[in-house]
Amino acid sequence: MASSSLPEKDSFDAAPLSPPQALPSSPSPFLNTVSPLTSVYNRFYEWRKSFDFPNPGTVENLQKEVKATHLTNFIFDGARADLTKSLSMNPAFQVTHAFALGSQTSAPSYNFGAVFANQNVFLQGSIDHDGNVNARMNQGWSESNVTKVQAQLSSQPGHNMVQMEHDYQGLDYTINAKAINPWPTDLTGMFIGNYLQSVTKNIAVGFETLYQRPTPELAELTTSYLAKYTSTEKNWIATAQIQPAGILQATYWQKLSEKVEVAADLQLIAAPQRRDAITTLGAKYDLRMSTFRAQLDSTGKVSALLEQRFAPTFAFLVSGEIDHFKNSAKVGLGVMIESSSLTPEEMGMPPQP
Amino acid sequence: MPSEETKERITKVVEFGRTVLHYGWIPLIIYVGYTRSTPQPTLIKLISPLA
Repeated sequence: MASSSLPEKDSFDAAPLSPPQALPSSPSPFLNTVSPLTSVYNRFYEWRKSFDFPNPGTVENLQKEVKATHLTNFIFDGARADLTKSLSMNPAFQVTHAFALGSQTSAPSYNFGAVFANQNVFLQGSIDHDGNVNARMNQGWSESNVTKVQAQLSSQPGHNMVQMEHDYQGLDYTINAKAINPWPTDLTGMFIGNYLQSVTKNIAVGFETLYQRPTPELAELTTSYLAKYTSTEKNWIATAQIQPAGILQATYWQKLSEKVEVAADLQLIAAPQRRDAITTLGAKYDLRMSTFRAQLDSTGKVSALLEQRFAPTFAFLVSGEIDHFKNSAKVGLGVMIESSSLTPEEMGMPPQP
Repeated sequence: MPSEETKERITKVVEFGRTVLHYGWIPLIIYVGYTRSTPQPTLIKLISPLA
């Protein structure tokens, strides 16, 4: 009898030693009063931990792999040049001068950007020739808490935007709360909350609620549902997002080999007034000195982007897109030059013989 | 509900903060980066695209 109770006692003593629920050495009367609650919580926490579910990642990054494989976010037309200058590695500090001209869709532009980042803080700002400022700040409070602020500041009225959000990554879940253009006096704005929870080692489900209040009289609440399946080897991921208005977005991403990734995206709109579907297929090849992306979609667009690195500091970009249904084409040429005022030793590279 | 006067004051404060951020954000990053960098860069290297 004594022998059977002994190991139990041992395991009970050992449990509070693990960092998240370490008890103070001299419990106050208050802690004594709530100790049944904390012990229930600790047991619940231990029970959840025993499943060993992974953190599902943030809702914002739900389709991260697909977006990195498709070239929708990378394509450009006309000519452009990006000059990046690293001034410090730790903390990271770099400035960028970006020039673009000859685009069919946007006017010639100049953009100056600056980035500063250390362990906890990330500051980024950019200003274009019209004086519009983009500001971004991330502050990491701990491993699992990050606050992000984003703002677009313009001298034209009506072009200003501010977005504040907080990310919490728990043991097997992620919570994010966002406020876009909140106005303190009448509490208007857009508020988004989302929650993603791992339910098995592969499946995560969640929801995203959007509360829109453009004027104090008008308020609207919509909830969309999310699901993500990650394969055990993490080499393929499928996601789905469904909105009650009749919009379904499904994606699939697979890493075929070290160098090849493919992704598919299906967007289905089945609202009473509009029925539409767009499918996008894309592939990305990561070669030794270049990256090649190709994409085909159901609106008749074929596009490709080649990023060729001739030297570690010099990259050349070619992009092209043909719209077969509209009979139009776009071509883009770009250079990316990175220079640094640092010596190789200061950048943390091994010294050259 | 706050009074009209308070609302007006909040509007003014937000507008002022927005203006400060609009003109001060990039200089702030440059200042923070310039003072915290190791080694400290020269100012000309910071601003000029070619230097």
